[in-house]
Amino acid sequence: MSWQPSASFELIKLRAQTLKKIRHFFDDQGVLEVDTPVLSYSTIPDPFIESFQTRYLPLTQIMQNDNYYLHTSPEFPMKRLLASGSGSIYQIAKVFRQGEISAYHNPEFTLLEWYREDWDHHRLMQEVNCLLRGLLSPLIDLTNTVFISYQRVFQEQLGINPHTVSKSELIACAKKQGLADVLNEQEDNDLFLELLFSHIIQPCLGSKDSAGQKSTANKPYLCFLYHYPASQASLAKISTENDCLVAERFEIFINGIELGNGFHELNNTQEQKARFEEDNYNRKVAGQAEIPLDERFLNSLNYLPQCAGVAVGIDRLLMVMSQAKHINEVIAFPFDRA
Amino acid sequence: MATYSTNEFRSGLKLMIDGDPCSIVENEVVKPGKGQAFNRIKIRNLKTGRVVERTYKSGESVEAADVMDTDLQYLYNDGEQWHFMHPDTYEQIAADKSAVGETIKWLKEQDMCTVTLWNGNPLAVTPPNFVVLTVTDTDPGLKGDTSGGGGKPATLETGAVVQVPLFIAIGEELKIDTRTSKYVSRAKD
Repeated sequence: MSWQPSASFELIKLRAQTLKKIRHFFDDQGVLEVDTPVLSYSTIPDPFIESFQTRYLPLTQIMQNDNYYLHTSPEFPMKRLLASGSGSIYQIAKVFRQGEISAYHNPEFTLLEWYREDWDHHRLMQEVNCLLRGLLSPLIDLTNTVFISYQRVFQEQLGINPHTVSKSELIACAKKQGLADVLNEQEDNDLFLELLFSHIIQPCLGSKDSAGQKSTANKPYLCFLYHYPASQASLAKISTENDCLVAERFEIFINGIELGNGFHELNNTQEQKARFEEDNYNRKVAGQAEIPLDERFLNSLNYLPQCAGVAVGIDRLLMVMSQAKHINEVIAFPFDRA
Repeated sequence: MATYSTNEFRSGLKLMIDGDPCSIVENEVVKPGKGQAFNRIKIRNLKTGRVVERTYKSGESVEAADVMDTDLQYLYNDGEQWHFMHPDTYEQIAADKSAVGETIKWLKEQDMCTVTLWNGNPLAVTPPNFVVLTVTDTDPGLKGDTSGGGGKPATLETGAVVQVPLFIAIGEELKIDTRTSKYVSRAKD
């Protein structure tokens, strides 16, 4: 068994320098660094995210609850701080997601998460672009950033409108793309969109020029994809665009790699609770354990000011900066050496 | 029926796909921050050798293929079939031409080979990484040339033709790497 780090000291130093630059960036902007709990009695009920669980064993004080989850993002307590009047805040946190190991996943990873009071997602995308370009440009040759809607990218690459497409068109499209029979026909439209997105669209985001400018082909660029279908809103506000409901949510890609996810944050307790209950219903149907809802978070949401927030994966960012092929190259002791 | 879940996928795992036994060459996990995860695999069809891509929703199960590799001794060829024997049980198994395939040119009697069995029947034969074969035909050697700078073709006892150094003569035993079809050295006793 190897006891030595899988990352080179060059990349261990790059991590340290990058974290220092990030803190400097937010210091300059007057954004406050905060620290919130890793352990909580609740977690996100999203059926596609599994949390690690652990037990509280009372030595001095019995608690109502003894089952605790390791957070998958510091989102809930950070929003409670915003609802309490903190103003814009950021955090660099270790987060945990059960079962996720691949060239781009380590079950324990580092997230940079920040919230901007009074901003919407469009303004936040500009700031994310500014921070990421500042970090990436000295190391890799970036071409112009692209901002494109989820609808436009589907129309350009697959010729379908993701907000109005029918199930039979989705099945035909998957077949045409060599993805026939992956999903059965009863699966809902979102699953077909996710299949087409992750297999056909995402690999092109941030590397090939979707605008068709041949001179810049294959140079990496930051790609911001915004306005996901309302059914994929998660914790984002929903608005109407061209008679379709869209989630005010964006994701960031480069070289086909997902770097982050942002929202114009939903601040309505009832609506968020309804979405969580639907998540729990879907977990139950799929045979997954239901999650006790975070009542403290839900109760704070009606007090959450207008704000936009984003989470960026630091390990993946370091991979892009160093052109690493595997996440283990940028983590000193990944899961199999931890 | 044995099955494997997508979280057991790894290269070398044998699955039944479209009625044919296949081996996973590469397993890639596609897991977005939000949304459904998929396993995208490259698989080699063990009957045809063709490599194709397949995608599965993570969490699904796929039928396992009863495929196993056994080390058997090559005995002889009767004109139609190639006969192998288990060295401990003396059990004999015959493989046809489609199973032996390209390996024909490396098969020397009494060598140990890896025979891939599907439901007990030979599917493929893999020769040892290195075989020792006698040169049956090559141009005359050049005296004094031991540099190995140039090369010439030589026919071996199994019919295989490999590039060898100029100093190699008919009747010599050569060590050959079957994976690259390349000459390694003269066989040492």
